[in-house]
Amino acid sequence: MALEQFAPAGVMIIIATILAFIILVISRIFGPHRPTFRKNAPYESGMKPIGPAQRRVPVRFYLVAVLFIIFDVEVIFFLPWAVAMRDLGVYGLIVMGVFTLMLIVGFIYEWKKGALEWE
Amino acid sequence: MGEFNVWTSLPAVAPEIGLTILAAVVLLLDAYLPKEKNRARNIAFVSAVSMAVLALTPFIWAPAPNTSELFWGGMVRHDALGQLFDVMILLAGAITVMIAVDDSGVGRRGEFHLIVIIVTLGGCILSSSADLVMIFVALETVSIPLYVLAAFRREDNKSSESGLKYFLFGSFASAILLYGFSFLYGLTGSTQLTAIAAGLNSEIVSGNLVAVLAALLMVIVGFGFKISAVPFHFWTPDVYEGAPTPVTAFVSVASKAGSFAVFMRFLIEAFGLPAVSADATSTLVVIDGQTIQTFWVNLLTVFSILSMTVGNVLALRQKNFKRLLAYSSIAQAGYTLMGLAALQAQSAIGQDIAMASITFYMFMYTFTNLVIFAGIILFVEATGRENIADFAGLQRRSPWLALAMTIGLLSLAGIPPAAGFFGKLFLFQAAVEANLVGLAMIGVLNAIVALYYYLIIIKIMYVDQGIDEDKPLAMPRSYAWVLGITSVVIIILGVIPTPIFDLAQQGAAAVRLAMGS
Repeated sequence: MALEQFAPAGVMIIIATILAFIILVISRIFGPHRPTFRKNAPYESGMKPIGPAQRRVPVRFYLVAVLFIIFDVEVIFFLPWAVAMRDLGVYGLIVMGVFTLMLIVGFIYEWKKGALEWE
Repeated sequence: MGEFNVWTSLPAVAPEIGLTILAAVVLLLDAYLPKEKNRARNIAFVSAVSMAVLALTPFIWAPAPNTSELFWGGMVRHDALGQLFDVMILLAGAITVMIAVDDSGVGRRGEFHLIVIIVTLGGCILSSSADLVMIFVALETVSIPLYVLAAFRREDNKSSESGLKYFLFGSFASAILLYGFSFLYGLTGSTQLTAIAAGLNSEIVSGNLVAVLAALLMVIVGFGFKISAVPFHFWTPDVYEGAPTPVTAFVSVASKAGSFAVFMRFLIEAFGLPAVSADATSTLVVIDGQTIQTFWVNLLTVFSILSMTVGNVLALRQKNFKRLLAYSSIAQAGYTLMGLAALQAQSAIGQDIAMASITFYMFMYTFTNLVIFAGIILFVEATGRENIADFAGLQRRSPWLALAMTIGLLSLAGIPPAAGFFGKLFLFQAAVEANLVGLAMIGVLNAIVALYYYLIIIKIMYVDQGIDEDKPLAMPRSYAWVLGITSVVIIILGVIPTPIFDLAQQGAAAVRLAMGS
């Protein structure tokens, strides 16, 4: 593999950069520039912003998100296994059983620790 | 690619299987044990004893140790070197759990012991992985729980800070490492280390020397972070000082030993020892007429010199004991890097000594560091202070504690009869065998510098007058056992190092033969 093969891509990057630059500069020079309050708002034609963007979120949501990921991953693993189950045979069944067992242990733990209680 | 047979593959990961079951058991114990005073202590005891027992599995249920074979379809390589690293990481986990028991803030929460088990599991896989994917998964299995552990004392700002710093530096290093791996895969079309070595010799790669060297450089940077080699050491002092002391102890031994093991495997298996033929002359892997070996050996030599010098010189001025040990651990990484650089040795025996000396050094370093950290935990728990000057008059307050710490410090300094002497001797010997006499000389000079700050601590403990000298320190029984056993192990390794070293040398020879040289 020689570096020359990438020459078109390199030319493309350079042209794109220059073009973007030229467009911005030309519209800056020749275009009219009359800012108003409404134009500067985050959404020019949308709702009026209420309060700051960084709002306080209950930390519980993070816990929910983490718990969700575990079961999300479980489903992601289950689906291809279910499709290929006949080919994998008993070996696949055992491996999946071990995986599920580990997940169940984790599930019991989070249940007992009260991670599933909202209050 | 090794063929995939589950039943023959199972014994190769016996400790890992045991640790997985142990993790599940500890998780359930933590969920179901009734809330009482000795709850966390019981969990800790179960974890520690189980890990110590699992350290025996490599001698009971394992493939033959005098060969180096691939298992799990080429993911895991099993040999005596991997066994030794497994044993030291498992014992490090057991000892960490034991010395954490009375540390307020960490030892009294069941999760702590669970996370230590997970790190141990990762370390065991790490030391025997033979595939880039496996290396990365294992490395993250070690790192991510360690980030959590470093920030384990949520109410302590310093602990949170160290956890965040460790996480930011660590994830950045992992990203660089992974980027290097992706280049290697792109160049050679394989993630298996020995297949990469074969791929590097193919026609496609020749002409792409720069890409190979860039990939190698990125991987070395990633591993350099994990073993805290200069210039990737900036996280070490802050994390060591801020993290709860048992965690510091564990970071300094388990993560380091595992990383050195895999770093060594990576360099040997993918970037090749020079093939050693029967008459001990060698042919080098050649791309573009240059040798890749020269590149990484020179790089590691420079890192080794920098780590030793920077670590030792900065350690001279430290007031905080944990910070001093951080710089000392940077210097120790420098000595061990000498062993990695010595992998370029031309003779078979030289390469074996290089591999075995790294293994032996990490083996003795595990016990040495843990005995000192156990002493610090005991002292800090009783007095709440961790400056070196506060250890004044320790000998009058607790003679046994002072003795155990003295043994540990002598071992770090490399003075017989402690194990550190032979650790350094083997490394210097490996460097000389590999014609790196200059590097060995710098190592010796650095050892002399290091002697100063280790001996100063011993002097403070035995000679200086302390303010609280009339208050004796109580020694809980669990700590007495840990300190006693580790001290005795250090002395035994220092008096008869040959069994471990010979075993490591056998493993090294097996690895060398498996590489087809």
